[in-house]
Amino acid sequence: MFIGVQAYLALSIILFLLGVLGVMARRNVFTVFMSVELMLNAGNLAFVSYSRFWEGMEGHILAVMVMAVAAAEAALALAVVVLIFRNRGSLDTDFFRILRG
Amino acid sequence: MEIVSILLFLVFATLSIAGAVGLILFRHPINCAVSFILTLLSIAGLYAMLSAKLLFAFQIIVYAGAIMSLIVFIIMFLNVTEDDLPAEKNRIPLMILGGVLLLPVAWFLLKVVFSLPYVGTEIVGGGFGGAKEFGLMLYYDWIFPFEVVSALLLVALVGAVVLAKRRI
Repeated sequence: MFIGVQAYLALSIILFLLGVLGVMARRNVFTVFMSVELMLNAGNLAFVSYSRFWEGMEGHILAVMVMAVAAAEAALALAVVVLIFRNRGSLDTDFFRILRG
Repeated sequence: MEIVSILLFLVFATLSIAGAVGLILFRHPINCAVSFILTLLSIAGLYAMLSAKLLFAFQIIVYAGAIMSLIVFIIMFLNVTEDDLPAEKNRIPLMILGGVLLLPVAWFLLKVVFSLPYVGTEIVGGGFGGAKEFGLMLYYDWIFPFEVVSALLLVALVGAVVLAKRRI
């Protein structure tokens, strides 16, 4: 039994689907947010695996771009969470319907 | 050497899946965050096994270091207690239902992945994944996306400050 790049891709698929499950089934806003981060990480792992597959480094650059997007998302989403928790006192994602324009 | 890499892959894969399962099962967000940090560190180990040396450092410094410390800081800053958490009485049935819905997707994707030709994961030479090659590719071929990302980070910074200052 040899571990190839396919095993890494399969692990990335499993992690992504666990993230989707967390977004679907949980209502705690922090857990939902970290599940989104888990999906981004699974995407990164797939990028790096494909990069190893073709021995080119474009996947590494895309992974770094995804990390930058995740950092920006963390800053903005956590600012919104702090605002809503201080004004409404809830961490329930159902409360986030007040963000409708 | 082969058996060592197989064992390392199995250990990292098990730890990352265990961390992800803990992330979606724990009730308090601080337990979720610590469990997620375990996943991030195992993914960093997997990057090292895929010869992505620079991304290994980035994963530990940026993800497990910066982003997760921001999240843990915000959770502690809000002083989340049991009463603040949503009830979530039916999360286990929802999770089982979601798992049943996602099983065909997982089956299809795994089938596609395992029909790819076999490629091993030995260490590649020629500076693959090193900082010099990464920087050359980033600043020659990917300079425009790099600038767009810098603008995105600036916008996120200004937006976070504006959101935190204003009173709703």
